[in-house]
Amino acid sequence: MIRLRPIVPLLLLVVASAAQAQEPRLAGRVPEAARAQVDAILGAARNRGLPIEPLVDRALEGAAKGAAPGMIVAAVTRLRDELILVREAFGNGASTAELTAGASALRAGATGAALSRLRVSRSGRALTVAAAVMADLVAAGVPADTAVGAVLALASDADDTDYLTFRRNVQRDIALGASPSAALAIRIRAAVSNADGTASPGTGSTAQGAERKRKP
Amino acid sequence: MTDQDDSLDPIIDILREPAELRSDLTERVMSAIEREPSPTVGEPSRVRWWRREWSIRLTPLHALGIAAGLVGLVLAARLTGRTDAPTVPSGARTMTQFVLIAPGAASVTVVGDFNDWSMSATPLERAGGVWSVAVPLGPGRYRYAFVVNGAIWQPDPEAPAADDEFGRANSVVTVGGKGT
Repeated sequence: MIRLRPIVPLLLLVVASAAQAQEPRLAGRVPEAARAQVDAILGAARNRGLPIEPLVDRALEGAAKGAAPGMIVAAVTRLRDELILVREAFGNGASTAELTAGASALRAGATGAALSRLRVSRSGRALTVAAAVMADLVAAGVPADTAVGAVLALASDADDTDYLTFRRNVQRDIALGASPSAALAIRIRAAVSNADGTASPGTGSTAQGAERKRKP
Repeated sequence: MTDQDDSLDPIIDILREPAELRSDLTERVMSAIEREPSPTVGEPSRVRWWRREWSIRLTPLHALGIAAGLVGLVLAARLTGRTDAPTVPSGARTMTQFVLIAPGAASVTVVGDFNDWSMSATPLERAGGVWSVAVPLGPGRYRYAFVVNGAIWQPDPEAPAADDEFGRANSVVTVGGKGT
């Protein structure tokens, strides 16, 4: 028989925690020069209750693209900072998908205040697609403040499908030659009128939740 | 002591005999002392319980079992690969089609936030010059790119561009939930 003092299980827990602190998916992929710093960022994020999955994804993306260690660390750090801001806007109950989409919206030009307004407008509903559409519209060429305004205008009534249809139609109009701002203005008028029941949306086909990318 | 009663003499003789002590006396006394709670004046017993030093006894086999359990917990966390909420919710997923027309390609894979940016995880299948694969995705915004012939990074020409910090363009796909 051996006697175990309280310090021994504590030490075992410390050892187990230390093993846990290293993200195994980074091993052999992320350069060693970046690995320790990324692991430290992940550990600190975990302690703050932030999701680490998006941060791991960002590090793995950098590694897959052969980025320099400094670029990988900088990208992970920047995303961590964005996730913190988004969580302040969306609240502690925000899902990983919501935080990730919110970070994309922030990067596209949305402010923390705009994301907070989105949270209030869509109380009790998922924010993932609304925030993602903000970022997608900016990526399509719509000015950031215009895109944020459009998403907020739809926030109280639109569901995910409405948002995706709205975004698809704006992108289609842009592809057909409309300026991004004009395309958005036309589609937002139609969508708001539709929500009010005063006009036909004229939004064409309706997505059924799936994104389908197909060559013509 | 001259006036001592003679009847006490036998008793005195017995008491003068050296006492025989059992060989394990010291050990028994010490263990009895250990079992005694330390006297702490004025503290309720519940408080004393928390302040009391404790020790547990276990065999080496038990210690090995505990260590194996801890290792198992760590391994389980590693195998699942995530200790927080997943990016892809375990709820309703939507089959999302990725398509690239690349008649001259020998291989095409898609890499992105949904597969750890692994170049081997999600190969596309060829049908003529059209390469495609369907991936189940939960609601979210995913960044991705195609990799042709294992080396050439190519964004999806039919999808919106996404931010990129590493010098190779990404595309983005947004997947919605049902009626949320």
